[in-house]
Amino acid sequence: MAKKRNWWSILLIVSLIGILFTGCSTNNTANTPNATAESTEAPTASEAPASAEPAADGPVDGGTIVFSTFSDIVNLNPLLIGDTSSGDVAQFVFASLYDLDRSGNVVAEPWSLAADLPEISEDGLTYTVKLKNNIKWTDGEAITADDVVYTIQTAINPETGSPLISQYDKVQTVEKVDDQTVKFTLKQVYAPFLYSLYQAIVPEHVLKDVAPAEIAKSGFGTDPAKTVTSGPWKWTEWKQGEGQTLDADPNYWGEVKPHIAQIVYKIYADQNTEVQALLKGDVDFVSAIPVTQVEAVKANDSISVIDKPGPLYEYLGFNFDPKNFEGNFGLFEGQKTRQAIAHALNRQGMVDNILKGVGALMNAPFLPDTWADPGEAAVNYDYNVETAKKLLAEDGWVAGTDNILAKDGHRFSFELQYNAGNSRREQVAAVIQQNLKEVGIEVTPKAIDFAAWIENNVNPGKYQAILLSWSLNNPDPDAESIYSSKYFPPAGQNTGWYKNEKLDQLWIDGYSTVNQEERKAVYKELGKEISTDLPYIFMYQYGTAIGTGPRVQWAEEDAPEPSLGYGQFFHAIKWWVTD
Amino acid sequence: MTEYLIRRIMQSVLVIFLITIVTFILIHAAPGGPTQIMLSPGLTPEVMEQQAKNLGLDKPLPVQYFHWVSGLLQGDLGYTFKNHLPIGELLWPRIANTLILMGSAWVVSILIAIPWGIYNSTKVYGLSDQTASFISYLGFAMPTFWFGILLQQYFSLKLDWFPLSDMHSRGREGDLGDLFMHLVLPVTVLSLGFLASYMKYARASMLEVLDQDYIRTARAKGVVERKVIFRHALRNALIPIITLLGMDLPILVGGAVLTENVFNWPGMGRWYVDMAISREYSVLMAITIVISVMVVIGNLLADILYSIVDPRVKLGKQGGKAA
Repeated sequence: MAKKRNWWSILLIVSLIGILFTGCSTNNTANTPNATAESTEAPTASEAPASAEPAADGPVDGGTIVFSTFSDIVNLNPLLIGDTSSGDVAQFVFASLYDLDRSGNVVAEPWSLAADLPEISEDGLTYTVKLKNNIKWTDGEAITADDVVYTIQTAINPETGSPLISQYDKVQTVEKVDDQTVKFTLKQVYAPFLYSLYQAIVPEHVLKDVAPAEIAKSGFGTDPAKTVTSGPWKWTEWKQGEGQTLDADPNYWGEVKPHIAQIVYKIYADQNTEVQALLKGDVDFVSAIPVTQVEAVKANDSISVIDKPGPLYEYLGFNFDPKNFEGNFGLFEGQKTRQAIAHALNRQGMVDNILKGVGALMNAPFLPDTWADPGEAAVNYDYNVETAKKLLAEDGWVAGTDNILAKDGHRFSFELQYNAGNSRREQVAAVIQQNLKEVGIEVTPKAIDFAAWIENNVNPGKYQAILLSWSLNNPDPDAESIYSSKYFPPAGQNTGWYKNEKLDQLWIDGYSTVNQEERKAVYKELGKEISTDLPYIFMYQYGTAIGTGPRVQWAEEDAPEPSLGYGQFFHAIKWWVTD
Repeated sequence: MTEYLIRRIMQSVLVIFLITIVTFILIHAAPGGPTQIMLSPGLTPEVMEQQAKNLGLDKPLPVQYFHWVSGLLQGDLGYTFKNHLPIGELLWPRIANTLILMGSAWVVSILIAIPWGIYNSTKVYGLSDQTASFISYLGFAMPTFWFGILLQQYFSLKLDWFPLSDMHSRGREGDLGDLFMHLVLPVTVLSLGFLASYMKYARASMLEVLDQDYIRTARAKGVVERKVIFRHALRNALIPIITLLGMDLPILVGGAVLTENVFNWPGMGRWYVDMAISREYSVLMAITIVISVMVVIGNLLADILYSIVDPRVKLGKQGGKAA
């Protein structure tokens, strides 16, 4: 009896361990069909060719590329896109009027709908766009001026609820001249309008009978079968929450055809699992490697990493509305106070340690190395505690008994808000707290759920200071809607209630000429003024590193360009995959 | 029995109705809304307002609620706000995916935990009992996502025995062998969690029963040990275990967020979190309903099982015979 029981116990333990590892034995047979398909991804197989491969044997047609993302699309209809996931997928399936070159200039590429750059009238008010004449929708209909006119008019119609409305708010009329020609007339000279022409078009013949308010429910943009497109790839499948499948369109009109036969978009729960999948070879292209993982990914020989900051910058935003402070005493009123804060922050340290180098300091709201970058003209605030203390003293701040500065009985203590769960901002907020403590300013970092924060604090302009960033839709330097006092809350995005009459005028001057040299001069002046007056502390341009697996290939001139809006897929039509 | 069932079901319907009201109010009280996706210069407040209007979100709450309930009564779970997709079509595949994952883990853990726990109760502090104890503590203490990542690092990235994540390899949907391979790691993680508590419960519950006078009597009468354990002790010991199993039933469709995230399993837990972040009210309501129904069913099933396992429990008879 006793013997029997012992047997039972051993059997149980063995079976438990057996179940934990069942796969081991069955695996060898079950997995063989996979082995061939994945053989190139095995680290041993890819070691040698990884570095020697580029362009040596030239592009090949066919194959599948797997992109990863961490959020699903909402709607691919170019009229309604408001999130990056939808934007990413849409740019593969919808052709745009124009494209951007690597330095951010508007150009007509072979895959653009327009045949040439627009003709701009002498007075800068009319733009005439000529379309190519062989361009077609996936259902075989020709793409004509009617489609362009319909797209812009529907975008402007407030009932549509299109995020494009502000992009086209300077448009007086848009008219069809003939089937291939569209004329835009503006209400005023507005130079950034050129970038508004980098825009995907929707088919008039599909949507014309849908009321603007019903477009979101029409299935166009949410149902692949109902979404007539115009790009090199067409939308084949959407598995909600899992991903997209796009297939090269055999009837694509362009002279340059895509090499890659199929694009698969896979959704992962977060960026860390995306990176795991890249390392495993399940994914070929990850556009956002978290900074904490960059080093580990770089260590893997078969993965190439592109770490160049993107078109976005972080800022420490001040609130100038005294109502947000105790005793209606605005802590950030003094220009010298703001300059002192700029000197007190170790921004380079943040770039090196928190961003792991994937970033560049900024002193004005223009991305470094773009044509509008004021360069030396903008004031650079070096990390200097002594200068900071001196400026604060000059502005009337005196240290109190608790070592915190005070002026007229008001302690220099403020709350710095950021969104919960963003580990970069969490770390940066902690450094800001530490840096400012050294000059006698008390900071209380506060993390708030993103949606709640935006609704209750940011949009209505109810905060003391925030840590947030702006992502730039296009390379144009105009940012009037963020910094001009014309755009106070609730309607505008100048949520810090910042007012500077000189700057208000300069923003207007900046877009009121189409002459690029004149514009450059204005933005230089603007960069000098804004970096002196500091509505924000401009922190740094930052980005996410791109990682690509060994199968993905491109020629040097077609490599991803992270500094452009959708630049991670720059010239993807010319990329190819090897198996 | 029938009378009892009818009464219970009526009560349940009322409870579920109340749950819908409370959830509806709570969900809408949370700040943010489906139109607030992200801060983008084009999404001005006017645009967001117009979008909300186009989506029907500008109507007063009671109207929205009434609209939702009347749809539900006709079996229509409604549409997602942001892109007008039919929720029913999204919901059922996810429930199925989660059931496959959670169900496998549940069954595996019951099959191991209950026999093992019972066995250990007869050999307290033996080798097997100590091992089980160790595994239980491991199961309680180890964060599931961490254990999952550990398994992935070793068995997938290093040894390449199992797929890293997902439910299928690309292009092999419906291939059961492929599905099995994808199940092994997440099921291991999940069953360890279930196992830990079921084993402890089974053992503790048996020990308690084995200490009872009637067991001693049975033994004194010279009943064979096997009979003592299976006939006399086990049936009584099963009651708390059944309660526990019944309470865990909703998890089978509710899913496990962290494990689903780590293994990229397209299940309910992950979907619920995604939908909560994007404030998809109708989806949240639909999931709440499904889970509430499961809670009710789980409890009901447990009650019915009691009466089968334990002859002392007679359902429906007020003040049933006390033992």
